[in-house]
Amino acid sequence: MEIRNFSIIAHIDHGKSTLSDRLLQSTNAVSEREARQQFLDDMDLERERGITIKASAVTVRHAVDGVEYMLNFIDTPGHVDFTYEVSRALTACEGAVLVVDSTQGVEAQTIANAYLAINQDLEIIPVVNKIDLPSAQPDEVAMEIEQALGFPAEDAIYCSAKTGQGIQELLDRICRQLPPPRAPQTKKLRALIFDSHYDDYRGVVIYVRVFDGHLNHGDKVRMMGTGRTYIITELGKYTPKPEKVKSFGPGETGYLIASIKTLKDVRVGDTITIDNDPAEEPLPGYEEPHQMVFCDFYPATSTEKGSDFEELREAVEKLSLNDASFTFHPVHSEALGFGFRCGFLGLLHMDIIQERLDREGGVEVVQTAPTVTYELKTRDGVVHEITNPADLPDGSLWEELREPICKVELIIPTDNVGDIMPLCLGRRGIYKQQQLISETRTMIDFEMPLAEIIYDFYDKLKSMTRGYGTMDYEIIRFQADRLVKVDILVNGDIVEALSFIAHKDNADKRGRVLLTRLKDQIDRHQFEIPLQAVIGGKVIARETIKSMRKNVTAKCYGGDVTRKRKLLEKQKKGKKKMKSIGSVEIPQEAFMAVLDQGE
Amino acid sequence: MSHKQGIGITVGGQRPADTRQILVGAPGPVHALYIHVPFCAHKCHYCDFYSFVDNRDQQEAYTHALLLELRAVRDLLRGGLQTVFVGGGTPSLLRPQLWGRILDELHNLVPGFPEAGLEFTVECNPESASAETLKVLASGGVNRVSMGAQSFNPSHLKTLERLHQPANVQRALSVAADAGIERRNIDLIYAIPDQTIADWRYDLHIACDLARTGLVDHISAYALTYEPNTAMTQRLKQGEFVAAEDSLEADMYDTAVDSLSAVGLDRYEVSNFARPGSECRHNLVYWRCAQWLAAGPSASGHVAGSRWKNVPKLGEWIEGVNRTGGFAPAIDIELPDAERSLRERIMMGLRTREGIDRHALELGAKELNCAKALDRECTSLEARGQIETVDGRLRLCAPSFLWCDGIAARLMDAITRNAD
Repeated sequence: MEIRNFSIIAHIDHGKSTLSDRLLQSTNAVSEREARQQFLDDMDLERERGITIKASAVTVRHAVDGVEYMLNFIDTPGHVDFTYEVSRALTACEGAVLVVDSTQGVEAQTIANAYLAINQDLEIIPVVNKIDLPSAQPDEVAMEIEQALGFPAEDAIYCSAKTGQGIQELLDRICRQLPPPRAPQTKKLRALIFDSHYDDYRGVVIYVRVFDGHLNHGDKVRMMGTGRTYIITELGKYTPKPEKVKSFGPGETGYLIASIKTLKDVRVGDTITIDNDPAEEPLPGYEEPHQMVFCDFYPATSTEKGSDFEELREAVEKLSLNDASFTFHPVHSEALGFGFRCGFLGLLHMDIIQERLDREGGVEVVQTAPTVTYELKTRDGVVHEITNPADLPDGSLWEELREPICKVELIIPTDNVGDIMPLCLGRRGIYKQQQLISETRTMIDFEMPLAEIIYDFYDKLKSMTRGYGTMDYEIIRFQADRLVKVDILVNGDIVEALSFIAHKDNADKRGRVLLTRLKDQIDRHQFEIPLQAVIGGKVIARETIKSMRKNVTAKCYGGDVTRKRKLLEKQKKGKKKMKSIGSVEIPQEAFMAVLDQGE
Repeated sequence: MSHKQGIGITVGGQRPADTRQILVGAPGPVHALYIHVPFCAHKCHYCDFYSFVDNRDQQEAYTHALLLELRAVRDLLRGGLQTVFVGGGTPSLLRPQLWGRILDELHNLVPGFPEAGLEFTVECNPESASAETLKVLASGGVNRVSMGAQSFNPSHLKTLERLHQPANVQRALSVAADAGIERRNIDLIYAIPDQTIADWRYDLHIACDLARTGLVDHISAYALTYEPNTAMTQRLKQGEFVAAEDSLEADMYDTAVDSLSAVGLDRYEVSNFARPGSECRHNLVYWRCAQWLAAGPSASGHVAGSRWKNVPKLGEWIEGVNRTGGFAPAIDIELPDAERSLRERIMMGLRTREGIDRHALELGAKELNCAKALDRECTSLEARGQIETVDGRLRLCAPSFLWCDGIAARLMDAITRNAD
């Protein structure tokens, strides 16, 4: 039987999940009755946000030209933060179906994902989707694909995952056009781990693609990256229901279970081999997940009893079972008490984790403003990784401070180029190139510090382009710049959770904006509260919260009792979400004030 | 004009209920009564009490319904009344003949009315307090008037949209005195936009003269409060004027406390000053969280642990009272709840010089299983010099009256079921 391994890649919401469902249905893998919408996405959260976080693999059969094919369909995450995971999933494939929404056209992640696939030498089948919609412009979109990516417009398949139009043709093309798996290079087992997830009942489930040799039920295997060994207790394929098998041969794809307790023990991109007959070299391309964005989570409620921190710990640990790319370690902040400093692959990843903490863990958290990872070279020549501005030593000890620089790709309506250029330049962007990808849309490349993107860049992009702009970014290097640490003093005390790193040229402005925001957030006290922004002992901005002289209701008689009581109860309730710095009470929202750059 | 009974904001659902569920079968007797008269000659801009300018004469219909409401609580009044307070609106606008009917009804319903020791206050407007009305009131048992002076400065009166001439206050007080009404209060307002500390000192100076000459034995001095849904607040929002800085307001308050005590009017509540023995006993009923009955639209009552407010709209109130034979439609009903009651005792009691019975407070907290939380909070506030316990009563230290709300909020928060 012939084997074809392929992925579907697309920009968010371009119909990847619907197309997946339809492909499964058309091969009778899923009956109409069984076809739950978006079969492959199994978390509510993903369904709501319309994105796929976890990849999985499904094996179906299709016959064409009298030949039967085993189609291994490998799902990929759809977002920029999961580039590495996408690249590993693509490594497991020989081909990719590139889906573009015929009502939206080519978007930033269409390009980013297509290039990932091209770099892996995958054969690509362009699909113009959603052609059933009245606003579909399939010919124009096919032409955009040609312009932006060089795939001839006439090669694109027009299809509607909703009505089924074009699906049969797509299946036939997958079989005919995509190459078979490469021939084995050795008899020894080499299987690529391209995804894993945690199942409450079965523990860790690993998805593998066998490149060389055979993987059998009962084998004792070794992960070549981590060196850990496990006995395979189950091998199987999702069709899409799990079906156990005895063995995988070269080119095959499926899942394995081996009593692995936590996802931390499994690295996507690692190579599995037989423990007592190992391959000489692992498959190429393995990388440690690299957290680029950091923030602290603290329990939102009062910590007098300490139980809220334990609740948070439980929730965070539980989440990390499901997501190995999310890191955390306990921290203590004078302002916010005990919490966790958490690392994320990117901004969206951070949003997802916070939302899941809230939803699945039932924990209300205070989140500090996100920061990026910095590399600090000290005078003694040692390079330190800094993920928290508060950890930066005195400026006199620095040799240089380096920050992550991203390649940012924007696809925006050509009419908005005049607005987006200053936005990017104002955030220390360096213009790289610009390309018209259709009559109305332009692709622009910038290099920009990640620190400038993690604030509200994406929101600004969306609002300036009325939602039409899309972006993708990739970290390309660390680079030294004139960076300074700005400390914030409230009533003379440094509030570490408010410290931030900024470029020297706009540190003053950032400091001023932050103090203005803080001034609005902190209630007046019985004494005057000076607010200062300081760089290395030098005050760069100053505000004062005037003292309050009274807090008393003038009139309170029989008819005022109910309303007044509710007001006072509310006043006190609000106070609970305060953190005390010295004798100043700071509301928790104020810790997000660092976010607003006041543009 | 007026104080004592405000229109609350209905928070939460309005129950289609009337006062019957609270009043019928309640363990009496109740010794205090509040009557609300909603009519005004002019709606003052800072006022958030239920009142309106009565263009169609509804005084008859109002009086008729009021009598029904009083009769319905006849059983609870059997033990006699110790305090009656008639607020508004402008009660002095009610025609003397209708006043006569109300007073007669009280004579009929309440055994021994007006008994010796009764405190019977009626709010008056300097313009509408006619000698005829005051005589009717005095002969019916009224022995205290509360006059809305607000300010003696014509330009500040204008800001407040008060129509009277400053000189009329003294005249009206004299008329009341001549009518035999022995106890007299004036209300003052400070922290009016553009009012300087010197302006306020002038007002206090006039007020102190009235005290010295015996025309008043009690003064209520309120910082102007921008209540939601008042013209004053609207004008503030529109930028017609700016509110007084709170440091000025605090200075004005301290000035009032000093000036009034110098003429023998001591502070016995945040905004109330009286000659010893002239404290308003009716208002003390509120601050002590004792029981009182309510009659009239928008009047609030507190009986057997339940609080309620009569429906504020005159028409709805008349209709409801007539339909049920004396039970007003009620809103903001709060049924008995030990935690709520204890919090209210703190909130109200802390406003007074006499403070709160600490032992009773601790017993209440113990029953709610939060005695330790309360004790922690008290200790912390005592350490900061904000509260003190004298002769078994917990009270604010004198400088802390300006911080009453925050302190009350902390103590109230300690009163939380099972906090220990």
